[in-house]
Amino acid sequence: MSVLSSEWLKIRSVRSTYLILGLGVSTILLGLVLATSAAGAYDAAPPEQQAAARIADLEEALIIMPQLCMGILGVLVVTSDYATGLIRTSLTLVPRRWPVVAAKSAVVGALALLVGALAVFGTHLTARSVLGGRFSGAYATAFADRLPLLVALTLTVPVFALLGTGLGALLRSAAGATSVIVGFVYVIPIIVGNIPEPWSERLGSLMISALPRQITGDHITTSVYGSLLPPPAAAAVMLAYAAAPLVSATWLVRRRDV
Amino acid sequence: MKSVLSSEWVKLRSLASTYHTIGTAALMLVLGVLWTFYVSSLADERGSLRAAAPEQGFLPLLQMSLAVLGVLAITSEYATGVIHTSLITVPKRGRLLLAKAGIVGIATFLAASLILLVTYGASRLIAGGRRLGFNEASFADDLPMLLSSGLSATALALVGLGLGAAIRSTAGAIVSVVALLFVLPGVVNYLPPPWNTRLATILLPNLVPQIVEQRLSSRLGDGLLPPWAALGVLLIYPIIALIIGLIALERKDA
Amino acid sequence: MKLGAHVNPGFDLEVRTLVRRAGGPPPRILYRVIELQHLTKRYGGTLAVDDLSFRVEPGHVTGFLGPNGAGKSTTMRLILGLDAPTSGQALVNGRRYTSLRMPMREVGALLDAGAVHGGRSAYNHLLSLARTNGIGSARVVEVLEEVGLAGVARKRVGGFSLGMKQRLGIAAALLGDPGILMFDEPVNGLDPDGVRWIRGLMRSLAAEGRTILLSSHLMSEMALTAERIVIVGRGRLIAEATVAELTARYPSLEDAYMALTSDSVQYGAAR
Ligand SMILES: Nc1ncnc2c1ncn2[C@@H]1O[C@H](COP(=O)(O)OP(=O)(O)OP(=O)(O)O)[C@@H](O)[C@H]1O
Ligand SMILES: [Mg+2]
Repeated sequence: MSVLSSEWLKIRSVRSTYLILGLGVSTILLGLVLATSAAGAYDAAPPEQQAAARIADLEEALIIMPQLCMGILGVLVVTSDYATGLIRTSLTLVPRRWPVVAAKSAVVGALALLVGALAVFGTHLTARSVLGGRFSGAYATAFADRLPLLVALTLTVPVFALLGTGLGALLRSAAGATSVIVGFVYVIPIIVGNIPEPWSERLGSLMISALPRQITGDHITTSVYGSLLPPPAAAAVMLAYAAAPLVSATWLVRRRDV
Repeated sequence: MKSVLSSEWVKLRSLASTYHTIGTAALMLVLGVLWTFYVSSLADERGSLRAAAPEQGFLPLLQMSLAVLGVLAITSEYATGVIHTSLITVPKRGRLLLAKAGIVGIATFLAASLILLVTYGASRLIAGGRRLGFNEASFADDLPMLLSSGLSATALALVGLGLGAAIRSTAGAIVSVVALLFVLPGVVNYLPPPWNTRLATILLPNLVPQIVEQRLSSRLGDGLLPPWAALGVLLIYPIIALIIGLIALERKDA
Repeated sequence: MKLGAHVNPGFDLEVRTLVRRAGGPPPRILYRVIELQHLTKRYGGTLAVDDLSFRVEPGHVTGFLGPNGAGKSTTMRLILGLDAPTSGQALVNGRRYTSLRMPMREVGALLDAGAVHGGRSAYNHLLSLARTNGIGSARVVEVLEEVGLAGVARKRVGGFSLGMKQRLGIAAALLGDPGILMFDEPVNGLDPDGVRWIRGLMRSLAAEGRTILLSSHLMSEMALTAERIVIVGRGRLIAEATVAELTARYPSLEDAYMALTSDSVQYGAAR
């Protein structure tokens, strides 16, 4: 418990934390801009085009911002301790070591859950109120029907935060861990999208961005990823993204010289 | 200036991270070879197919790795405090940044071109006479694409350097590059027409195809910028980033 | 000491300036001098350096003393152009540091010995610094020998002990064979042998006619090394005197320091 409060104090006493959190939540503003401009375009269009017009789920399109921000926060929470040498102090004070990793994960994970929920629900509700009855699709269905997907989207944000924490502890380098996160979110999906079937769809189903819709069973035909996993399997894969690096990092931190 | 350049060269070549980033970029070759073997075996079954060229499909990997090299060239100095020593030996901050830009620019362009050319050569050798779509043009026709791809990786490395000088944090600068390369194009997609296509034409991932007059995508048409304009935009990115970095370097206490 | 054998390029520079300006009024000759003129630096609400004026002259070691947070390191950063003064100025050889063409040949400095990239070898670290000012690799080898690191020149700096890093920082300061040297707490972490070595090095560098500004909290060491003392507190000048003057008025340099700074200690332990 004391380790937890110490990590909480550490994270909230650093200025860059607030910058990252703010950036993550600012997704709502971006959603507002996009929704407003879409509404303008809709109103200017002739009625027959209006009937056919669809709009993408903005919270799904913009979730990469909070994901990336909280992933980086997860990385920094660990690597900044290594960069400053503070980690030596921390591990001297807590010789069992694993509570340090656990406490960092808990703090970042909780913050990420909060930021994710704010960003996803904030964007959705903002877009809904701006768009009103315009467009068929995401914002025309009842809020309750959208709820499972919104929750699943929200959960990807803490997954990224824990992935960042785990990678940071594994690699001990901000540049290395950040690059791997970026690779996961952007580079690998592009490469996977380029390989021929059936592997493109098989591997595509495992990409983090493909998981929320597989968890809720809410498939769309325009997805660039695959949708081969049943909901429980998709949930397990999502959990593995967060847990695998963390578990191996905890194991390594206990054995490795600091 | 020559002395500062030579010092920056010593710094770059004596860092493990330089080799790590270039090594990651060179994964393009490995992936490209695997890719070509794979599509070749498919072609043997099906006769012919249209596959993406490895030097284009894996370009984001090359760009991102070398951008990280550019970022680290300056942020690692801030992280370790070496920046103080650097500024004591070269008090003219513009000169320091310019020398870094020169060395990072040359090193990344050479590395990128080499990796692209070897990937290109290896994949064409493996493909042999099979009809894979990407191996049907002549080398002379493909050369502009290879050169502008190398140039785009250099541009990204310099953008990383400039943003690194401005932000001083490795993670912050990498994320900013990611925003330019990946996030922005994603967001611009969702703007209503005609703004989505207009803005998309000046975004980094769309410049190389426009320089070589390739079709961008069905939606963007043949590219709205003429090749020389696309090349100009590609050069403007690093210039703006380096100017921002220089202003920050000059204004702020080290 | 091999250092004396080098011709001082700083001096050359002065001569060249003299020749170039031959037509105009005779310039002030400020050879190997650090001069602070009403130097002031404010960080947000903290006045780190407050209207500080003094000169550091060649031929002897000048000790720079003051309690923690007094502004010694900040003053050195201001002299080196790392931070910009809020007002006033700091001059070396009559010029602003940032206007020097070959600064390493005029000023050498050790600020923070830990500020090295752990992944680089000692040789490459020094070589990258030397190259900026057109200094050759032979000189790098020479200073490595001079500070006793020749045997580990190719080793990663990350594996160096505190004292080895301190020696590496001193080597960096000596690279350009400068006429002015500044050291911020160089004896931290050195073994007794190293402390004695630094003392000898400082004194012989000064005896060669160089200007040495040396900060340290070790009074006994300072009494053995320095000839003049500058004491600051809360960013302001408290005293400027020779060690002889101070030890004549007080039982020891430490007593003098304690008496003079008693009002300026900001971070003292409760007594
Ligand atoms: N970059 C900075 N930002 C904010 N305040 C600073 C900065 N650098 C120094 N200060 C403040 O300026 C004052 C002087 O600090 P400085 O490091 O110069 O003291 P010092 O005399 O070197 O102390 P010490 O003997 O402990 O090394 C302190 O109050 C410090 O907090
Ligand atoms: Mg100090």
